[in-house]
Amino acid sequence: MKNETTNNELLLSVQDLEVDYSSGGSTVCAVNGVSFDLHQGESLGLVGETGAGKTTIAKSIMQILPDHATKRVAGEIFFKNQDLMQMKEKELQNIRGSQISMVFQDPMTALNPVMTVGEQIAEGIRHHQHLDKAHAKQAAIKMLETVGISRDRIDEYPHQFSGGMKQRVVIAIALACNPELLIADEPTTALDVTIQAQVLDLIKELRRQKGTSLILITHDLGVVADTCDKVAVVYAGEIVEIGSLEEVFDHPSHPYTKGLFGAIPDMYKDVARLSPIDGLPPNPTELPEGCYFADRCPHATEECRARHCQLEHITGTHYVRCLKTEQEG
Amino acid sequence: MALLEVEHLKKYFPTSRGVVHAVDDVSFSIEKGKTMGLVGESGCGKSTLGRTVIHLLDSTDGVIRFEGEDVTHPDKPTMHKLREQMQIIFQDPYSSLNPRLTIQETIMEPLQLSKRFDKTQLPKEAERLMDLAGIEKRFRNAYPHELDGGRRQRVGIARALALMPKFIVCDEPVSALDVSIQAQILNLLMDLQEEYGLTYIFVTHDLSVVRHISTDICVMYLGQMVETCPTKELFAHPLHPYTKALLSAILTVDIHHKNERILLKGEINSPINPKPGCRFAQRCPYATEECHQPIPLQEVTPGHFVACCHVKDINNL
Ligand SMILES: Nc1ncnc2c1ncn2[C@@H]1O[C@H](COP(=O)(O)OP(=O)(O)OP(=O)(O)O)[C@@H](O)[C@H]1O
Ligand SMILES: Nc1ncnc2c1ncn2[C@@H]1O[C@H](COP(=O)(O)OP(=O)(O)OP(=O)(O)O)[C@@H](O)[C@H]1O
Ligand SMILES: [Mg+2]
Ligand SMILES: [Mg+2]
Repeated sequence: MKNETTNNELLLSVQDLEVDYSSGGSTVCAVNGVSFDLHQGESLGLVGETGAGKTTIAKSIMQILPDHATKRVAGEIFFKNQDLMQMKEKELQNIRGSQISMVFQDPMTALNPVMTVGEQIAEGIRHHQHLDKAHAKQAAIKMLETVGISRDRIDEYPHQFSGGMKQRVVIAIALACNPELLIADEPTTALDVTIQAQVLDLIKELRRQKGTSLILITHDLGVVADTCDKVAVVYAGEIVEIGSLEEVFDHPSHPYTKGLFGAIPDMYKDVARLSPIDGLPPNPTELPEGCYFADRCPHATEECRARHCQLEHITGTHYVRCLKTEQEG
Repeated sequence: MALLEVEHLKKYFPTSRGVVHAVDDVSFSIEKGKTMGLVGESGCGKSTLGRTVIHLLDSTDGVIRFEGEDVTHPDKPTMHKLREQMQIIFQDPYSSLNPRLTIQETIMEPLQLSKRFDKTQLPKEAERLMDLAGIEKRFRNAYPHELDGGRRQRVGIARALALMPKFIVCDEPVSALDVSIQAQILNLLMDLQEEYGLTYIFVTHDLSVVRHISTDICVMYLGQMVETCPTKELFAHPLHPYTKALLSAILTVDIHHKNERILLKGEINSPINPKPGCRFAQRCPYATEECHQPIPLQEVTPGHFVACCHVKDINNL
């Protein structure tokens, strides 16, 4: 689904976001200067390695970073021109769930183990759509069926559901609120591809009908190809490449992005071994001076290790953080 | 020789609305050193099957044989042996680790319990396992919540490998990982298989992964097996209507060519007290009255088993 997004209103603007955690005496630099804009109706895919800081970015937008572990947060996060970072908890509570809702990566932390799945979906519906108990339950049953779970499971508890069924309950809760911004953190990793397709269709439908904007965090580049119109590739807490789906998928430019595409098993080719990107990501407690990817990069030079480079414009809306790409022009 | 044979295995769960037939009369066998990929709709019973086979859950009915021996109802010593030889890597790296143990302690725990190692050897052995699974040493004293999803999954793998099992149920072990680390882990699992002759059941929703790692594939639908054959054959000639729908929904990174998806319509089936007959019939575009009769797996072409009474007409066989 393509959107003429440029004409739409700016919904979310993240500026120079930085987040540090403290962990066993040292400081983990989880997010290191992330900026991006999201317009109404747009959908942005956030991809990148495990531990790159994607969930931390999402939690920053929701303003739900863990108090005890978060050492420092800096930057601005404008939602409809209001800085969420400056907002009081009370105001945030009104925004969470009804205007911004999040599907968590780990469904169990989001579900209440002692409440039936039906009650949990109905609760959100009652709260946001002002329905009475009986109508909310009917709506909850409908929502459960929309995510492909039969109605006779409505009175069961989360532990009686499979991993993917729990994930679908969380999605049902998030979608029932009709949010303006949906942040979905790995929403379909536990789902088979037919149900995944149904869930992605549901999200597309919501976008089409309500103009909902979407931030989709995923490792699955196929899901991004299907659902997103913008892509940001995150590495070691930074955006290393951002652009439209076409720009990034047709012309992946950062060596890390290229490595990601190279590591996917090919559906139509047989290989004995897959090709992961060599080496390991940098230690987030001791980030290097220069490019964070230099140690794993086949093209890295001394200059790359000495200077940390900025996101540079290549074409259209395509930006890349790489000295080599920059120099090649 | 088959390392594992399962015959007419059933696992039912009672619930307030009736009995969930999570695994309902499933039979298969896996040769030593092979990988059986297990795919199917979310909630169709893959995890339950894996857990029942390795005795994390009691079976409701059926027979499980390991290395030729009937282990359906193991006595204590047999159970102890099975606990070491059959392992599982879980779907969910978050809840499968004890939050109060450090990474090193987590990996040492099975070593301690087995009493196979001297106390003084434990840290060294844990270090070797961390290395094997690609966990950096600096995480030795970290707690699970301090790790990202990928590293947590590696801890689960290190733990499963600790006692050098013969058989591992890999329940979506790479779903939480980025594609590069996924590639590393898949390579690692395949290397270990080659070196130690390990046998795997590999549960995943990623069909490109299952195609890469499995020798054979079983497709499940609502507690039952609907199609099984060697991997190459399945992707070349999917015969069951559900398998066809499944393969048609694969998303690829090619943004200019999209697969024609077979949409599944119709009522959602429930695994609670299911009616006899094909469980996919309600959503199947080819269903007729005949489909309400029970249908066993049949060998349709050599080595290719399908449970569908219309399989021949649908596929012009
Ligand atoms: N509560 C915490 N305390 C200390 N460190 C943390 C905490 N939560 C996350 N981290 C660290 O912050 C970094 C970013 O983690 P985050 O969960 O945001 O990554 P991610 O991109 O979502 O990874 P994944 O793809 O595995 O979910 C990692 O190095 C992680 O270990
Ligand atoms: N403890 C339980 N009590 C009741 N029902 C259960 C229990 N555990 C599993 N089930 C049910 O058994 C069925 C199979 O679940 P299982 O977890 O095996 O599915 P799965 O194929 O692994 O799904 P997924 O791909 O979503 O992980 C589901 O309908 C589930 O709700
Ligand atoms: Mg995450
Ligand atoms: Mg499962």
